[in-house]
Amino acid sequence: MIEIRNLTKIYGKQTVLNIPELKIGKGESFGLVGNNGAGKTTMFRCVLDLIRPNTGIVLSKNNNVATTETWKHYTGSYLDDGFLIDFLTPEEYFRFIADIYRLSSGDLEAFYHEFDDFFNNEILGKRKLIRNLSSGNRQKIGIAAALMPKPEILVLDEPFNNLDPSTQIRLKSILKSWQKEKEITMLISSHDLNHITEVCNRIVILHEGIMVQDLVTNPNTLKVLEEYFAVKG
Amino acid sequence: MFLRFLLLQIKTATRSPMWQKNLALNLVIGFFLLLFAVYLLMLGLLINQIMNELLPRQDHFRLFNSILIYYFLADLLIRFLIQSLPMLTIESFLHLPVRKGTIIRYMIGRTLFDIFNLLPLFILVPVTFTIVIPHEGGLHAFLWIGTLILLILSNNFLVIYLKRLLGSKPVVVGALGLVLISLVVLDRTNLISLSGISSKIFGYFTHHLLSTFLPVGWMIFTYRLQYKFLSKHLFPDEMQKKKVEEIHDQAESRFLKSMGLTGSIISLEFKLYFRNKRTKTILYMAPVFLLYGMYFYPQNQNQYQDVILLIVGIFMTGGMMLNYANYAFGYESSYFDGLLTKNIDFNQYIFVKFYIAVLISTLCFILTIPYVFYGFKILLINAAMYLYNIGVLSFVLLYFATFNKKRIDLSRGGAFNYQGFGAMNWLALIPAFILPLLVYLPFRISGHPYMGIAFTGLLGISGLFFSRFFIQLITKSFYRRKYIMAASFREK
Repeated sequence: MIEIRNLTKIYGKQTVLNIPELKIGKGESFGLVGNNGAGKTTMFRCVLDLIRPNTGIVLSKNNNVATTETWKHYTGSYLDDGFLIDFLTPEEYFRFIADIYRLSSGDLEAFYHEFDDFFNNEILGKRKLIRNLSSGNRQKIGIAAALMPKPEILVLDEPFNNLDPSTQIRLKSILKSWQKEKEITMLISSHDLNHITEVCNRIVILHEGIMVQDLVTNPNTLKVLEEYFAVKG
Repeated sequence: MFLRFLLLQIKTATRSPMWQKNLALNLVIGFFLLLFAVYLLMLGLLINQIMNELLPRQDHFRLFNSILIYYFLADLLIRFLIQSLPMLTIESFLHLPVRKGTIIRYMIGRTLFDIFNLLPLFILVPVTFTIVIPHEGGLHAFLWIGTLILLILSNNFLVIYLKRLLGSKPVVVGALGLVLISLVVLDRTNLISLSGISSKIFGYFTHHLLSTFLPVGWMIFTYRLQYKFLSKHLFPDEMQKKKVEEIHDQAESRFLKSMGLTGSIISLEFKLYFRNKRTKTILYMAPVFLLYGMYFYPQNQNQYQDVILLIVGIFMTGGMMLNYANYAFGYESSYFDGLLTKNIDFNQYIFVKFYIAVLISTLCFILTIPYVFYGFKILLINAAMYLYNIGVLSFVLLYFATFNKKRIDLSRGGAFNYQGFGAMNWLALIPAFILPLLVYLPFRISGHPYMGIAFTGLLGISGLFFSRFFIQLITKSFYRRKYIMAASFREK
């Protein structure tokens, strides 16, 4: 589904990302962990064609993301606040996204219904602009908007940050059920080792731009991760 | 503690990205401020001679005193409009063991160095030496300047208090302005001689040592007023009155809806303009562009009149469009990443921006039609310039907009805001403004000015025929530049 070849990103003299090869298969849930500055966001930005890598390419369904745009049809993403249009109300924002993906108002209704629990009455009908909402609620809007077009590939950068405990649990169950029912391919980064091992079936540790471990999740994974980061810390 | 606050303040200023990126611009602004100060100083030194020339054999001291009351009233109004509130980011200190009084005193103390307090001194101090001392002698001159300084400070404290209390509501500003204007009118119609009162008051203060306790008391009163107010409201949420806008669900217009993505992009742009501070300021400034004509058209004909009319025409029909198109992408900096990852056809997207630019220019042109009152030629020129604007300038502006990579914070006001102001950008625009003149002048010199006007208009119409091609060029540039734009839009 996604293939990375010889990808490097260098700022000044510092190599912040260096991935010779990485393949993520369809339906795989790929978790990315690493301390601050490990290159997680940089990698996701390369995957989403938001920065130009110094070398290498990212292929999505065998098409280079930097030269084609078909991947945008089936890729949903939320990295940070820069994905939200903060002078709109949540409804206006969702409608804008729906217009872009040519979804009907029926589709939009179905989406609201499906995310009713996730929004927990804090998002819709509040008559507030997104910029006046709390960071947790903004995060919810961004994640929901990424999921709205029912993407085949989902890219989320630290989605559990800022979310309250109930929403974290709801998000995990949404991600797990989409994985099972829709065979969605996910790329998720997180600082929370518990969440990531629960949601992802493959976990990669990034350190200073380099993939240092590539693990298939098993009951032992959490321990391995904790040991790795205990030494680093 | 004061020193530490001061150092922090300096760091905030010099380390802000605005300062570092726009060092050249800051230097230019600084230079003009300095120039202004020098002018004031010279005016202060020469005012005695000037008065000798213009109003010989009058009491200069009384004359000067008579205008002071206007000065202080105008000062109050202008401060109310422009002077910014001192905002030491107090959130980061409130939880530390720093006494509230220290924070407040620093906040107030800082305002003393405001430009509104310093600039008047450049004129008042020389006046003290050139007019007051020869007239009244040292002691009384000292009382005079002392009184004025005390009143300037009182204005400073009072305005900051009023502004926090009332907010910068247009109603309040309007009311203050109305009071000021009616005072001037009353004075002019000789119902009250305000200037007479003014020269009496300031004359009295100068001659009576004991009366000085009045301005001193007033200054202390305004200071205490502000101090009390601040100490009661030293909470972040009360200092910045954040009003939460309530948005009523607007029925999207049927017309826009029927246009699909194009319609939703247009409605997004409208919301962008009406819901953000920076863009709203620009909307308020729109009438200024349209009133250019009022200033230029009634003037006497001279041999360069038509060239001026051409330039006025470009600005009136294109000024607003210029603002829109120049920041076509810059205004989107806060959600640019989001747009890039979405399934948007950017060729169509840029086309929509072009339509909006045309729409804005068309509106401006329609509004300038009444200027036909000053002659049919003016309508012709404006029409030709309008066509040139939409057929040539619009594409040039959108093309250069892809080079405008400065992040713009929409929540900050637009007046005196040079954020996103790239010198290179504007330099590149000069040819676009000169081109219509270059087209026009050969015709005029050979004695066919109307042909020249027609030809400039035709140039615009032919540009419109190639719009598809031009938009493609802009789209190409957009794709080439998108990483650079996205990267610098991310930098806060």
